[in-house]
Amino acid sequence: MIHSLFLINCSGDIFLEKHWKSVVSQSVCDYFFEAQEKAADVENVPPVISTPHHYLISIYRDKLFFVSVIQTEVPPLFVIEFLHRVADTFQDYFGECSEAAIKDNVVIVYELLEEMLDNGFPLATESNILKELIKPPTILRSVVNSITGSSNVGDTLPTGQLSNIPWRRAGVKYTNNEAYFDVVEEIDAIIDKSGSTVFAEIQGVIDACIKLSGMPDLSLSFMNPRLLDDVSFHPCIRFKRWESERVLSFIPPDGNFRLISYRVSSQNLVAIPVYVKHSISFKENSSCGRFDVTIGPKQNMGKTIEGITVTVHMPKVVLNMNLTPTQGSYTFDPVTKVLTWDVGKIAPQKLPSLKGMVNLQSGAPKPEENPSLNIQFKIQQLAISGLKVNRLDMYGEKYKPFKGVKYVTKAGKFQVRT
Amino acid sequence: MPYLGSEDAVKELKKALCNPHIQADRLRYRNVIQRVIRHMTQGLDMSSVFMEMVKASATVDIVQKKLVYLYMCTYAPLKPDLALLAINTLCKDCSDPNPMVRGLALRSMCSLRMPGVQEYIQQPVLNGLRDKASYVRRVAVLGCAKMHNLHGDSEVDGALVNELYSLLRDQDPIVVVNCLRSLEEILKQEGGVVINKPIAHHLLNRMSKLDQWGQAEVLNFLLRYQPRSEEELFDILNLLDSYLKSSSTGVVMGATKLFLILAKKFPHVQIDVLVRIKGPLLAACSSDSRELSFAALCQVRQILHSLPGHFSNHYKKFFCSYSEPHYIKLQKVEVLCELVNDENVQQVLEELRGYCTDVSADFAQAAIFAIVVVQTFRDLVWLCPQCTEAVCQALPGCEENIQDSEGKQALIWLLGVHGEKIPNAPYVLEDFVENVKSETFPAVKMELLTALMRLFLSRPAECQDMLGRLLYYCIEEEKDMAVRDRGLFYYRLLLVGIDEVKQILCSPKSDPSLRLLEDQAERPVNSWALDFNTLAPVYGKAHWAVISKCQKAERHDSELPTNASFAISGHLVPEENKKVQEPPESEALMLVPNLQLSAEYFEKTWLSLKVAHQQVFPWQGEVQPDTLQMALKVVNIQTIAMSRPGAQPWKAYLSAQDDTGCQFLTELLLEPENSEMQISVKQSEARTETLPGFISVLETVIGTIGDIKS
Repeated sequence: MIHSLFLINCSGDIFLEKHWKSVVSQSVCDYFFEAQEKAADVENVPPVISTPHHYLISIYRDKLFFVSVIQTEVPPLFVIEFLHRVADTFQDYFGECSEAAIKDNVVIVYELLEEMLDNGFPLATESNILKELIKPPTILRSVVNSITGSSNVGDTLPTGQLSNIPWRRAGVKYTNNEAYFDVVEEIDAIIDKSGSTVFAEIQGVIDACIKLSGMPDLSLSFMNPRLLDDVSFHPCIRFKRWESERVLSFIPPDGNFRLISYRVSSQNLVAIPVYVKHSISFKENSSCGRFDVTIGPKQNMGKTIEGITVTVHMPKVVLNMNLTPTQGSYTFDPVTKVLTWDVGKIAPQKLPSLKGMVNLQSGAPKPEENPSLNIQFKIQQLAISGLKVNRLDMYGEKYKPFKGVKYVTKAGKFQVRT
Repeated sequence: MPYLGSEDAVKELKKALCNPHIQADRLRYRNVIQRVIRHMTQGLDMSSVFMEMVKASATVDIVQKKLVYLYMCTYAPLKPDLALLAINTLCKDCSDPNPMVRGLALRSMCSLRMPGVQEYIQQPVLNGLRDKASYVRRVAVLGCAKMHNLHGDSEVDGALVNELYSLLRDQDPIVVVNCLRSLEEILKQEGGVVINKPIAHHLLNRMSKLDQWGQAEVLNFLLRYQPRSEEELFDILNLLDSYLKSSSTGVVMGATKLFLILAKKFPHVQIDVLVRIKGPLLAACSSDSRELSFAALCQVRQILHSLPGHFSNHYKKFFCSYSEPHYIKLQKVEVLCELVNDENVQQVLEELRGYCTDVSADFAQAAIFAIVVVQTFRDLVWLCPQCTEAVCQALPGCEENIQDSEGKQALIWLLGVHGEKIPNAPYVLEDFVENVKSETFPAVKMELLTALMRLFLSRPAECQDMLGRLLYYCIEEEKDMAVRDRGLFYYRLLLVGIDEVKQILCSPKSDPSLRLLEDQAERPVNSWALDFNTLAPVYGKAHWAVISKCQKAERHDSELPTNASFAISGHLVPEENKKVQEPPESEALMLVPNLQLSAEYFEKTWLSLKVAHQQVFPWQGEVQPDTLQMALKVVNIQTIAMSRPGAQPWKAYLSAQDDTGCQFLTELLLEPENSEMQISVKQSEARTETLPGFISVLETVIGTIGDIKS
């Protein structure tokens, strides 16, 4: 299925290759580079490329390209999802999925790739199973290893491989039994010039961190399960039970995993927690313009909005910007023309604003369109859709676990047009 | 270390590997081996320490073993004689008490990829199949496929195949999936693994125990199974239900495809499934992973072939965000074009217009993008004339960004046909006329001629002067024959008189109300279900046919003469046809000019008649509808309806009447895969003697147009 994998950095160096069947020459990547040249922007290379003998399916993650070589017809989604899983695993093991991290841990990378695929077919990809086969590098462990001479490879086979439930290993034991759930919601929205919503929806996930001994059987119920429009489930969830009772009932995997992801679409009103007042104008026949942006809270359910960042791609003719923020700090990169304003928290007494002059290239015609503002923010302890967990029950084990639910709302692709 | 010359590094490492002090210190020994591996992965040739590395494999340290195995698999093909030494150690490890060591050794042995290794691995693989640890069985099952590949695909070991089939009942789910994968490779010549009823039901029942990759692959294998009864079919569909809600998009798509294929006789079930996966698909379209959302968008476009209005309520999902990569924006604009209806046309056009002046994209990209947008405008006008007004309003301002020939053609066409509603149309066209000398594409010049002629009819005062200049240029200076001919044609047409010009250029346009007959937008689900969730939708069907044809040809170029005979048989059909159709002295045919059939009348007659004659003409590439329509008009054949240019399959309906009152109704069909145009003629009266005459007229027209193009 997957013949070979090449890792390529942004400057076009192939810094790692792995072949699961016969060796495919590096020159196959020339087709990829060719497509990159055509794409005008290296990042925008199409994910599927065909060459006379192979198909190249690639993903772009953290400034790296994962290019896989395929020889037979295969569902593209399958390969794309798998490549992302590889990148996720690197991220999980090394804390970041960067060229430096991969090069530093090249031996572990090869071990991982060897276990994740055999003969080109996905084998072990669940992080908790992999971690038993190959232990992730930690500072502590490398110290211990160098003293005791022990290794970062599990000496025994993961027991999970033998349990009847493929996602959970048998014989799990914890001294503190805990189950935590994070409800994370992201608002995707496009706001038009006048401040009305063109499009908005909420993408939500519930991530779980479960450290429970034995074989616990959990059921999680919501105050308002009807809110959820489209839900996709981790394979551990009993689907029939959800359909009939709207209760999530499952034997959880051990450790961190994504329980469900859901969507609350624009039919239900999506609350927009911030508003933006803006006036960006460029004067005809003069090399300057005005920039004035103010951010304020709106429908924030009484919670503080924090971690606000505004990014603006200014038109090409903008040479420089002279701005004064009432709060936070700003930078303008004259090469990429990107303005970044790091705002921080909104204090309700004084709304943060950023005002000043824009210097344009003299003689150039004034830009036709105003730029869009991209906004990032975060609200703790609030799920903007109003979703609330009702209760969590555990069956099958006798001990009393510690339970917790955390809510957070973030901006996803949140764009304000001006 | 890589700063040293590679030879020095190798020498130093070799010395270190031989050093008994280092060998005694487990940690230092392993570090040296790690350095060897590190150099190897950086592309340095480390094959000269092979001997030392083989020695290092005799250890109890599992990490060290792993590293050495990795090394051996890389260099064994270069040093086959030395690698045989390693096999001994590997064989011994295959009976190690630790299942992990057994598995690792077996996997490495099967991956050695050197000649002569088969005889050594056969026994360990067979033992591995019966190992009590599932980890080893998984490796052994895939080892069977590797072993088969080493044999050079020659003979299939029947006993081994039987053993693998029986292992499909293994209690470990990954062993089961690996058996399928392995059998598929071994039995490639015979069409892959056979899925009969017991196997199919066994797999269905094990599905819930598999990981997402296993599920996706099993769903793919199940496509081969044909349920015996309706009852069984619906049982299977019930079992599959929950996979439509899986968190993995790959599994959802796999399940969808299986549903579509299994329920091919139950269109309502198919539609129901497509409705149910709307949510997951839309979620994938706005996924964080751009590649995922790209692939999902391709599938959305496929579904739209059958359910044009399916995503209309969610059209805002397909609005582009400025930071998205180019290939996603293109897909989104195309999807938007198909979603347009009366209610959302205003918003969509407003949105599309914004894209033409996207500030974030650099110029080249913006230009390409604008072309697509303008082409979309053109398609919109073809498909839903009610939005013409809105498009006309959106058009001014787009012209500055358009650089490429197809975009220019689309823009010029729009300006010509709807120029009376666009205030600055003549002035935009004037710019094109000014620069006609530097224009490199003849097609753009032809389009410009036609557009200017049309605009001249509606706004003569503003156009007369530049039309004169353009005609002068085309006739006197232009080097391209086709353009010059077109110029001369118009010139003479103008000499004949303005009424004739009007009659030819403004003859009844293909009737837009005839969409059902014309475009067949709603293709049955079954026509694309087989391509769903494959690479085909990523490329588009026609392009895919070309790609896969090339790939097949390249892959089998050394083999089989069967290919050749296949190619010949492809040609035989039309030639035979031609011989049969050699006209038996036809009577002279006179077609009545200015025939005006209404679309309704045509549709009714067409459906009530039988095909009198069918034939194929050679044809390359796309059709220029304008040229064709005009040429047909000259020989008194009326065009009732035509697909928009580039539509697949492309169709046109024509009508003509001879002096005796016999009507000829014709369908032209251009399938993208074949390089030929199929024509079907129906006659209102069964008079076969006039038929050959009509066919030859058609043939002349189509032949001529085809020549101009090529």
